[in-house]
Formats: sequence, structure tokens, C-alpha cells
Amino acid sequence: MKKMTKILFLITVIGITSCSPKISSNFINPQPKLSIDEKVALLDIEHNLPKNNIIKVGELRFQDSGFSTDCSFNSLMTQARNEARKNGANIVKVVDKKKPDLWSSCYRLKIDLYKYDADVSSLPQYQLKLD
Amino acid sequence: MKTIFKSILFLSVLLLSSCATIISGSRQNVEITSEPSSAKVYINEIEIGQTPVQKNLKRNQEYQLTLKLDGYKTYETKLEKKFNAWYIGNVLIGGIIGLVIDPITGAMHKLKPEEIDGNLKRGTTYETKSGNIFIKISMEIDKNSEKVGQLEKSK
Repeated sequence: MKKMTKILFLITVIGITSCSPKISSNFINPQPKLSIDEKVALLDIEHNLPKNNIIKVGELRFQDSGFSTDCSFNSLMTQARNEARKNGANIVKVVDKKKPDLWSSCYRLKIDLYKYDADVSSLPQYQLKLD
Repeated sequence: MKTIFKSILFLSVLLLSSCATIISGSRQNVEITSEPSSAKVYINEIEIGQTPVQKNLKRNQEYQLTLKLDGYKTYETKLEKKFNAWYIGNVLIGGIIGLVIDPITGAMHKLKPEEIDGNLKRGTTYETKSGNIFIKISMEIDKNSEKVGQLEKSK
């Protein structure tokens, strides 16, 4: 009975703590933080980066922690945008995208973050949706 | 008598094997009103309408809530995911299936406005009724903005 209680407790703890995807980041050139009013462009695989006035700020990688549930494409892009703002980037560019499959129910993304010295709203970009 | 008791216990375990998912569902209805009304509401920077407005949101995500109205300060808060007490039903009754299902569906969470040091953001009140959350926001006048006139309806 004690063993059963321990197992239930363990499952509960795992369930509560590990629903978020694993995020690894590497910021090579952090910039001053952006405010909520400053636009951030979300560029999917098919969207091209502007050629000039652009600095790479860092990289993000979203992986499945094994118990992740909050890992839809829109949710990950929202989290990437928040990370971008914190580090002064106004372009989130998806460089590698793995869709949910037999091995994982999550999107897995590799993202580059850039600071672009011009208006990002004119760039062709992904329109975020609510799941 | 023992058989009846066993049957009830078995049915309870079966039915309550994913308590929170059955009772609360994987989404939560969020109704947002403001004083004054007609403020533009954005969730994760996506415009969803003007107050009063309601939206059915997934419980396993956190959301950035923003309200904008001319002449008033932009209001911002987070809708955070908190622990849904119905999840304990699985632990109490021993529904191992529920312990796994509820986190997957997100039903083990409920959405609540962000609290800092135990206090809600100024001007925010909320109540929860039958699983739905009703959030009321009093917009703060922006002293830097000045009313210069008002358009009148032509007769």
C-alpha cells in the first residue's frame, strides 16, 4: 500500500511539474529589452529574412521533455516571441521544424533570433492564432 | 451489502478515473468585461474583440491579456495556469488513468489572473462560477491624454 502511495505521489509530481517543453537558449549578442508595443515578426521556414540591417541575437531550441503538453506551434511561437523581447530581438525565424509524429506529440523547433533595424510589420510573416 | 459497496467503489474508480477532464474539460470559458466597456481585448497580441467578450481557452497554456482604450492606460496582465483541485480526485480514489489523462488534456489546470505578492493587478476583480471565469477590469485614465472634442451624430 505504501509503495502504491509513493507511485501515485510520483506520478502527481511529474504530472504537475513537467508539462512544459524543454527550452535551450544561446544568446550571442543580447540587445536592450523590447517593450510590448514593439512588434516582433514571426518568420516560418518559408519566410525569408531581410538581407540588410540585421544582427543575430541568439538561438532557441524547443524539445519535448517527454511529458510536454503545452507544445503546439502557436504556443511555442508565443514563448519564442517572449524570449525574443527579453533579449531585444524583433525577428523570430524558424530554421528547423519537426511536426508531431509517432515519437512525439509536440512540435520541435530550432529558432534564430535577430534584431532588425527597420519596421518588421512590412515583412511577410506567420500570423499567430489562438489554439 | 458488500457487493453493492464493491460495485459503487468500482464504478467510482471507473467514472472518476480522470476527474478533472470529466468535471472541468480541457478548456475554460473566460469572460472579460471592463469599466468603461468597448475596450479592445488582445490575447497573446491577437485581437479577439471589444469588451464584454468571451473566449474558450485551453487550460494548459498561459496567456498575455491586454486591453486598450483611447484615453486610458493600456492594461496588461497574464492569465496563469493554476492547479485544478479536481485532479486530487484521482489521487483520493486511485484513478491512475486520470493521473495521466488530466495533465495530457490540460484539465488539471485552471486559468486565473496573475497575482504578484498575493495581490491581483490594480483594477482587476474576478470570480469563478461553474468552472467559468469572469474577469472585470477598471481601466485607469491616462493623464497624458487630453480630450480635444467629440464627434456628433448627424441628424
